[in-house]
Amino acid sequence: MFDAQVLLQIGWTSVATSTYYVLFAVAFALTLKVARVWNFAQAGVMGLAFYAMYVAMLRWEWPHWFGFLFGLAVAVAASVASEAWGYGVLRRRRSHGLLMFIFAIVVAEFVAYFLSLVFGTEPQSLQKSLVSDVYMVGGIVITLWDLKALAITAIACAGLWAFLRYSRQGQFMHAVADNGELAELYGISANRAYVVAMALAACLVSVGIYLYGTRASMIPTGPLEIILLAVIATILGGIGSLVGAGIAAVFLSLLQSSSILVIPSQWQSSLTYLVLFVVILFFPTGLRVPGWLGKKR
Amino acid sequence: MTHTVSRRSWMRAAAAVAVAASFGVAGNAGAQQTLKFGLAMPLTGSQSAFGKDQVKAAEWAVEDINAKGGVNGKKLEMIVMDTQADPTIGISAVNKLINVDKVPVFVTAWSAVVKAVAVIANREKVLELSIGAAAPEIATLGDYVYTAFPLADVDVTAVANYAAKELKHKRVAVLYVNNDTGIEAAKVYRATFEKAGGQIVAYETYDPKATDFTGMLLKVKTSNPEFIHLHGLVSDMPIVIAQMRQLGITARVSSYSGAYNPQLVEKAGKGAEGLIVTSLAPNAQQNPNVGPYIERWKKAENRTPNGLPYTQYLYDAPYLVAALYGYLEKNKMPATGENMRKAINTVKTFDLPTTGKLTVNENHTVRKPVNLLTVKDGQFVPLATVD
Amino acid sequence: MEYVYSVLILIGINIIMASSFNLIIGFGGLISIAHPIFFALAGYCSAIVAMKSGVPIPLAIVLGTLFSTALSVALSLPSLRVSGDYLLIASIGFQLGFVEVIKNIEFAGAASGLTGIPPLFTGPLRSPAFVVTILALAALVVWLVHRMTHGNYGRAIQAMRDDEECFSSLGRNAMAIKCAIFAVGSGLAGLAGALYAHYSQFLSPEQFGIIQSGLILTMVVVGGMGTTAGPVVGALLLTALPQAITFVNLPTSIMAPLQGMIYTGLVLIFLYVKPSGLMGKRARE
Repeated sequence: MFDAQVLLQIGWTSVATSTYYVLFAVAFALTLKVARVWNFAQAGVMGLAFYAMYVAMLRWEWPHWFGFLFGLAVAVAASVASEAWGYGVLRRRRSHGLLMFIFAIVVAEFVAYFLSLVFGTEPQSLQKSLVSDVYMVGGIVITLWDLKALAITAIACAGLWAFLRYSRQGQFMHAVADNGELAELYGISANRAYVVAMALAACLVSVGIYLYGTRASMIPTGPLEIILLAVIATILGGIGSLVGAGIAAVFLSLLQSSSILVIPSQWQSSLTYLVLFVVILFFPTGLRVPGWLGKKR
Repeated sequence: MTHTVSRRSWMRAAAAVAVAASFGVAGNAGAQQTLKFGLAMPLTGSQSAFGKDQVKAAEWAVEDINAKGGVNGKKLEMIVMDTQADPTIGISAVNKLINVDKVPVFVTAWSAVVKAVAVIANREKVLELSIGAAAPEIATLGDYVYTAFPLADVDVTAVANYAAKELKHKRVAVLYVNNDTGIEAAKVYRATFEKAGGQIVAYETYDPKATDFTGMLLKVKTSNPEFIHLHGLVSDMPIVIAQMRQLGITARVSSYSGAYNPQLVEKAGKGAEGLIVTSLAPNAQQNPNVGPYIERWKKAENRTPNGLPYTQYLYDAPYLVAALYGYLEKNKMPATGENMRKAINTVKTFDLPTTGKLTVNENHTVRKPVNLLTVKDGQFVPLATVD
Repeated sequence: MEYVYSVLILIGINIIMASSFNLIIGFGGLISIAHPIFFALAGYCSAIVAMKSGVPIPLAIVLGTLFSTALSVALSLPSLRVSGDYLLIASIGFQLGFVEVIKNIEFAGAASGLTGIPPLFTGPLRSPAFVVTILALAALVVWLVHRMTHGNYGRAIQAMRDDEECFSSLGRNAMAIKCAIFAVGSGLAGLAGALYAHYSQFLSPEQFGIIQSGLILTMVVVGGMGTTAGPVVGALLLTALPQAITFVNLPTSIMAPLQGMIYTGLVLIFLYVKPSGLMGKRARE
């Protein structure tokens, strides 16, 4: 079973399919780092983005590009709204963190109900056919989708990294993430940092949901389950580390796919939680990312 | 620690209690003119695409029956409750149907719900008709639990035997989704296929939320099966098939009635060619009422229903209930659960419009001929019928 | 009447869950979402013990409760040693992991659920008996929580919640108190769970997901976190409301999503208009 080809194939495909999880995890980690919120409302943004794209691409039959941009616009609007009218309001009132948590979860559920009212609950995809072209490279099956997904995700992550490192707003966001009140004293608007973080997260989420929708199918309650993986990856990667979250997402994907080689298949998903537990108990600050690989916390 | 309790809060709380308590009184002073029965289906949640269509079919049947004069001049009244395919909600729903609406018989589906409410049906002595759920355990859930739909062993057995005896395959891989539907069905397939002299070369499960099946599929590929049986959900089966073909697995695939879905074929593309599915309801050629039934869907909803065979059974369900009431009316028996049970055990054979003859066996099961269909050029065409 | 009984039992169970959760979250300040899991653990343990080993049901219930309590300590002790936030994370993992594990265990009924759990009461008076037992227990729980949180112990809890460092420096053991609160709260949830198992005679892992955690949390928040009467009002209202909505004859196609939207919308409105809950005092700045 430990044939090199099998391992390579599993490795390739699971890295390719981890792309959307990476995007969701990094988005979640970003809002957690900057705005200090466990943004479960992201599930609502995911749902809205997906169905917006679905309507544009399959009902109105727009070209994929336009459909994607439409979904992106909806996602950013929803995300910023959740900050402006949601978290922001609760934060200004100095609400208990728990209230923000409840708000996030309830908003996500509300959106799920709304979407199931409007769209029904049949599984939908963003493409009529889920099959894509196949290339054989050294005996490994590589699909066009895999290549697209990897390229798009790499670009999105690189873009985010560049923004955070080199732009003024990006640096402001670092400052706010470190110490919001201190940053305010220096004239940095914490609120703007929060809004930008939410908007960026929405962008990542839109890309992720586009990739997901072109490979699998979605139902209104889907995002509520998908976001759990993003949460776990964020925790494993260490709170405050975006690179950690991304790598953790890839790692989890690899783990799930390759575990089938050694354990009976029904225990696959339990494995993820086992890993989570072990990490929480023995590595409470997350699995360490070597300094040279990522930005400092 | 003093806190002001506003009067409004108390009034709100009191109102809630009053509402809750008034339910016992609210039950309609029994309109003796209607013959009531309950229908507990998922109207929301992940299964509602099927649940809603099944409810619609049943509603049409009730309209049709009442338009023709009802049963013995009395109208049939169907009370619908949402279960979300969730056992806890199902329990509340059935509790209301039995204790507030006072139905002597109710119809429900989805194995987890059927099992959860079985306790109530047996205790309150109300007839529970499971229509659509497939877990073999349903036949043994109690005196008041009957199924009017063939359980998993019927269609899975048929398709397993077909692979063994007609297609003469000896090496089959079984892939199933890790929930009660998949787990039970996979067991039945394995038992049947091995009994017919075949060998199960791979027996793998996958998580319903997974989107990448590479590891599992590679394991299957290495086991070199001649044929694959896939028992999943409508949401994951097309993805599994698509990935299967992309990885170069060319073996023919069989599945069950859940795969009898044109959308699945569209999503899986060419990979779905040759897919064998089952249908437990007769098609338009086999039963003259099915054609007009499908036409009615196209006219009303502009599409074919989700899970067509299931909706046929649900269309027939009110007719089944009507037949039971007919027996009670004829023998001047009051409408209680016990009498309903007597009715189903005495009448035993029912002639239903879109699914044909139904015989309820002593062991609470029913047997039906299984239609096998296959995908050819992107369309479902009949393949064989197994009795 | 039977229907009213079943609603009352549900209300009683929810009062116990909401009150015990309020103890953990509202008074103890410990954020955890795994509360329904302790309900489930005790339920499963009690059911399996009663079914497989013929132990009398009341004893099985006690064993189930103890099992739940023990596991809650196993969860809280290591997590709290790290930080309060980590309890949240650990509880998320625990919540999800538990459901997955149960789905794979055959003798616990696996994914399709455990049927045939023996009932605690049988016979014609079974429902009133259950109602009386559970409502009495609910009253007991509310009283217990009230006693724990007012009076000396309660003052200690409040001091700890308000300023933990100061509290510790005064020589009080914050960890011990937190674990104790968590254990008591979870144990009470377990008791409710074990009783529920022997009432409904059916358990399935789907009944204990994140949605259920959200539901109990909602009851506590809407009722008023950190108050004694709050969870009771919250439980009452949020149990009766969905039942009431089923009586309004909406067309079947929109009935249920609309109900879900009304329910969650109501919570959102509450969060904005009266975050301290129905029974809560005005939040002090």
